[in-house]
Amino acid sequence: MSEATFPLLGTAIVFLVVLPACALSVKICLLAAERTPGPLHNLTLRYLLLTGSSVLPLAWLVSAGLHQAESGKSAIACLLDHGAAGSCLESGYFALALGLATLASCLRAQHRSGLVRASGPENEQSLRQRIDRVILGFPALAVLKGRVLVTSDQSFAIGTLGLLRPRVVIGAHFADLISDEMLASAFAHEVAHVRALDPLRYWVLQLALAINPAGRFLLDAHADRWFAAREAHCDREAVIHGASPLSLANAIVSAARPRAQLAVALGPSDLSSLRFRVELLLAFAERAPTRRSTRGPSAFAVALALLLITLILPHQTSTKPLDALHAGAEHTVSYLSH
Amino acid sequence: MTFRLRPGKKGVELRLHELEAAIMHVVWGRKLTSFTVGDVLAVLERQRDIAYTTVMTTTARLHEKGLLNRQRDGRRYLYSPRLTREQFLESTAREVLDKAIGGRQAMAMLAEKVSEASAHELDDLQALIQKRRDELEERKL
Repeated sequence: MSEATFPLLGTAIVFLVVLPACALSVKICLLAAERTPGPLHNLTLRYLLLTGSSVLPLAWLVSAGLHQAESGKSAIACLLDHGAAGSCLESGYFALALGLATLASCLRAQHRSGLVRASGPENEQSLRQRIDRVILGFPALAVLKGRVLVTSDQSFAIGTLGLLRPRVVIGAHFADLISDEMLASAFAHEVAHVRALDPLRYWVLQLALAINPAGRFLLDAHADRWFAAREAHCDREAVIHGASPLSLANAIVSAARPRAQLAVALGPSDLSSLRFRVELLLAFAERAPTRRSTRGPSAFAVALALLLITLILPHQTSTKPLDALHAGAEHTVSYLSH
Repeated sequence: MTFRLRPGKKGVELRLHELEAAIMHVVWGRKLTSFTVGDVLAVLERQRDIAYTTVMTTTARLHEKGLLNRQRDGRRYLYSPRLTREQFLESTAREVLDKAIGGRQAMAMLAEKVSEASAHELDDLQALIQKRRDELEERKL
């Protein structure tokens, strides 16, 4: 039996069995979490479940593998005789293989999605002046000062991009179609994305789903519902900060409008999430939303805490699941080879 | 329906499967403005062994994708292209560009553009908003 058995077979088992099993468990939890009244509830929990199902098992296994390689404890589960040394580096190689496979999955997902770059801004002086005037006239938009890029791409409406320093990109064509009040409301929506670092949040979620072979199959629908709920949450935040709900609803509908010549079948036909957002905003026009008194913890803070705990855990407690994986992989090969 | 970009393909095939692309090549190449499944089949049969039902299913799929218009003519359908080849390639280039700017992966969009087929539903939503606006203004008065 080769010393490559566990690193290679173990990695394959993690990707083909462990991660899909985690995705399945998380799907069951998400079905329960989504049943709670109000689609905007449990957003943080749902995000943590969606990303954690891939990230946390991988982080634990890599950390446990490195720990066992350092301490030499991996020999306990190893079928190979390592002689007097009493240790083997298989767990280290396993952690390396797992890390490389994860990295490859991330790069593949990143390559497929395209690099995130702001399109070159077109210095249209009058539009810039109008944007500055709208931002100055609306105190809640102050955070956008110097963070708005203009693109001449006619198919583009408005969005937020940039992982660590989000910026708002607006299409000159879209800006021409909407009133100042709609523009201010749309910016207020984007401010909610900017403040919450949503592009980074979306990116991590998409990578987590891409790493897990069953992620797309099992969790994509839940991720879509989360994205829709997140957008509705930002609508709500915009209204709380003073945006006109009806103008925001108008801006959303304008942004979704296809361009006559280019948009044939380019976009989704399912308007359910768009309709939900518009109906929510129509309700806000009747009764303004209020901020909930008990706000949940930030998803980033909880995610980082969980990741830290996951990384430290194998060094403080047992690594029995890794031993089982190690022994299981080697026993499988041993059984098959006989 | 959205198109998926097909890695390693170019031109029309970047967004259409092989048979879909072959049908569109026939439509655009022969400048067909109104045609039946049988018309396309007659051309394709000269190039390959292909069943009527296969062409019929694929043509219907092209209609669902928004590339062909369709209207009933007795017991058959008459199809016509919605886009020229140039317009289709332009929209493909636009989609590729959109991906280069940043897909949903790391971008929060105010709203994703919907297909043209859904434009009338947007009109309904717009009317709903206007109605609520009018109601609120009436109440103020």
